[in-house]
Amino acid sequence: MGMVHDTHMSQYIPPTLFHPVTGTWTHAAGQVAGTICRTVNDADQTSTINIPIVIPSNSAGLKGAYLKSVEIDFEITGAALTALAAIFNKVARGADTAVAVVAAQTFTYDSGHDAAEERVDVAQHKMTLTLDTPFWMDNDAYALIELTVDQAGDTGVIELLAAVANYDLRA
Amino acid sequence: MGYVHDTNFSQWIPPTAFHPVTGTFTFTAGGVTDTISLHRAAANQTSVITIPIIVPSNSAVDVAGLPNKGALLKSIEVDYEITIAEPTSITWTLNKVKRGADGAVAVVSAITKTDTLAAAAAKTVDQHKQTITITTPAYVENDEYYLLQASIVAGAGGTVNDFLGAVANYTFKA
Repeated sequence: MGMVHDTHMSQYIPPTLFHPVTGTWTHAAGQVAGTICRTVNDADQTSTINIPIVIPSNSAGLKGAYLKSVEIDFEITGAALTALAAIFNKVARGADTAVAVVAAQTFTYDSGHDAAEERVDVAQHKMTLTLDTPFWMDNDAYALIELTVDQAGDTGVIELLAAVANYDLRA
Repeated sequence: MGYVHDTNFSQWIPPTAFHPVTGTFTFTAGGVTDTISLHRAAANQTSVITIPIIVPSNSAVDVAGLPNKGALLKSIEVDYEITIAEPTSITWTLNKVKRGADGAVAVVSAITKTDTLAAAAAKTVDQHKQTITITTPAYVENDEYYLLQASIVAGAGGTVNDFLGAVANYTFKA
């Protein structure tokens, strides 16, 4: 059989797959007609949003998806947030009766978001998180991007539009 | 390296990935035991359900600068039930969203397509499979995605709907 090795693959992850905790989150139209988003209410709160990275995996070494980076499209409206930060977690699934094991991956923000104040301003954002050490996604693992969004003391609201995972595909 | 060109790929998109706005929506059992649905309760209002088309994309381009790998999106099938009260209308719109660069908004363009179910047939109280066929299929670039939107004008009867899922059909090249 043949072999595929494509270094340009990407996967769109819609906001409906995101996992928000804390705050009142709703499905809403985006700022641009015809787009969709998940948005939170304006309140003094800190929300945690996990983005499941839905890409292929493989039980053979060096095959499947070689995850390299994740882009997140979001809008901040009203006022700047207090803080927004990301964590790039890899979750090794637990065997039966065992808990999962989470390992934070080191990554680099793009140059437009590497300073804290660049991640919270009122604007359209495309934030790219690039893994320092990309990895092949094993069938016993998955990745979660965890965003912590602090709205304390302001009137800013975040609208989450989409994420895109970039990976090499080999099979 | 090697090459895949398969013209028969499909991707099921569960109703849990759908994006409903306006109305009361809940996840319920489907009309058939052990199926699942996104349920719209009866109300005289206009609801918009947007289906994100979750297929692979690719940043490679040909000599003309056009994307030529990943998923060549050809059609989308939507399975749904209208269980009580025919709505006034259901209108289907397929949009391509070109993601904005940092600091810029996205740009939405309507995609020319045909529907297997005409307006009258698509809104009867029945089980439905609506197939949206793209007139000019295109490879999905990494900086874009597709959204299929159903706008339901309920009318006085309120209409009750269950969305079971969607299937995107595409050619895969890598």
